[in-house]
Amino acid sequence: MAAQSVPPVPRAGWLTFLDREHSIAGPKYSRWLVPPAALAIHLSIGQAYAFSVFNLPLSHLLGGRESAPGDWQLSTIGWVFSAAIVFLGLSAAVFGAWLERVGPRRAMFVSALCFGGGFELAAVGVSLHEFWLVLVGYGVIGGIGLGLGYISPVSTLIKWFPDRPGMATGMAIMGFGGGAMIASPLSTALMARFKDVAPQGVAPAFVAMGLLYLAFMMFGVFTVRVPREGWAPAGWTAPTRAGRMMTTGTVTADRAIRTPQFWLLWAVLCLNVTAGIGVLGQASPMIQEMFPGVISASAAAGFVGLLSLANMGGRFAWSSLSDYVGRKTVYATFFLLGAALYAVIPATGHAGNVVLFVAGYVIILSMYGGGFATIPAYLRDMFGTSQVGAIHGRLLTAWSTAGVLGPMLVNYIREYEIAHGVAKADAYTITMHIMAGLLVIGFVCNLLVRPVDERHLELESAAASAAGA
Amino acid sequence: MNDTDERISGSLVLKLAAAWALVGIPLAWGVWQVFLKSLDLFR
Repeated sequence: MAAQSVPPVPRAGWLTFLDREHSIAGPKYSRWLVPPAALAIHLSIGQAYAFSVFNLPLSHLLGGRESAPGDWQLSTIGWVFSAAIVFLGLSAAVFGAWLERVGPRRAMFVSALCFGGGFELAAVGVSLHEFWLVLVGYGVIGGIGLGLGYISPVSTLIKWFPDRPGMATGMAIMGFGGGAMIASPLSTALMARFKDVAPQGVAPAFVAMGLLYLAFMMFGVFTVRVPREGWAPAGWTAPTRAGRMMTTGTVTADRAIRTPQFWLLWAVLCLNVTAGIGVLGQASPMIQEMFPGVISASAAAGFVGLLSLANMGGRFAWSSLSDYVGRKTVYATFFLLGAALYAVIPATGHAGNVVLFVAGYVIILSMYGGGFATIPAYLRDMFGTSQVGAIHGRLLTAWSTAGVLGPMLVNYIREYEIAHGVAKADAYTITMHIMAGLLVIGFVCNLLVRPVDERHLELESAAASAAGA
Repeated sequence: MNDTDERISGSLVLKLAAAWALVGIPLAWGVWQVFLKSLDLFR
């Protein structure tokens, strides 16, 4: 490949072990060590989804049991998580090409320093009660760590598992869902442990979590390897002819964003995420309002927990299934089944059938998670393996967009309905029908996805593709 | 397979077990915590 004809720039110092050429696997290395390395990164950065555990304690730092004048407002604290998600999307888009150049180990290392360091700076901010330090620490620096960490193992996993790319990336991205499950009880336990040392125990909990995550992510840094040139799993040969929905060539990240396939997949991810993310954020009040007097606050918390499990399990299950039935079929299932479920669920609410209501949402949330986990393999099929990490990074802007769109749709439509006299139990009906409509649009976008035109392929791969055809 | 190969493959199995345990145990703990919480829905 043209990119590999440029000789590597020699580096000096102890950081050379981070270079791509120093992380090439030896003959005795097992590819099954790469998923745990990737999981170490994703389980750590998945903590972001449990940041809300700190919201209330952060709003009581001066007042103790209740907020005092000068304490931060909950709406202000909300900016920390929002900033982290925005910087996740931005850094994934901006640093994707750099990641492909320097390799996964250096990117994971920088991600660990940013994520762990962000916690430490935020701890200083909490101790000094300077909000901007928390925002810059966790939101900006930590957010950059999130973005780099999210995309760093993806292309490496695809290169190690060309026979099962969906399963491999699904395993890592499942970790992002599981990270919040670990972080939530861990944060609560750490704050309880340190509550006598510092207000609400937040600052020492931040320090401990920063160090813990730094160490855990370093396990990933030291364990990950890239396959040597020409390596393939035993008994597997790369397809020489392009499949119906798979290219044998490669498309650069800069070229990929000029193809209709990229923007169709951008829409596919954005619409699938929009349909799930709004519900995930409102799950607890929604089930309580749809079944007044039947579902208590603690049962609603159980519902949220069940949805988190479905979100995590779906990441692995659907992406693994896509290796056998194809990515397009899996997304078509998400959109058709999702639209049907969103159309039917309000009726289950009106009928007072909690079991069907819960079952419907469990399936929807499993498909929400599955959408995240299947997209890297879909990108590999469309654009080849060479720059899939960089392309994936740019596609994640769809997630940031959906992160704003989804909750806005659910919250504002609900408020509008209630303000116009609709009963709380019925206020979600129109939202769900809009979600069903969005999923139908997603189905059409997915249907329009075709293999990339050969003029977009890199020269060498285009020649090889033509020879194989 | 000679002795050296057996030693190498044995150490690789250990490495794999340790690596998967390191990520699997905290993940299983987190999943268990959420599972316990989700039981409240059925009580």
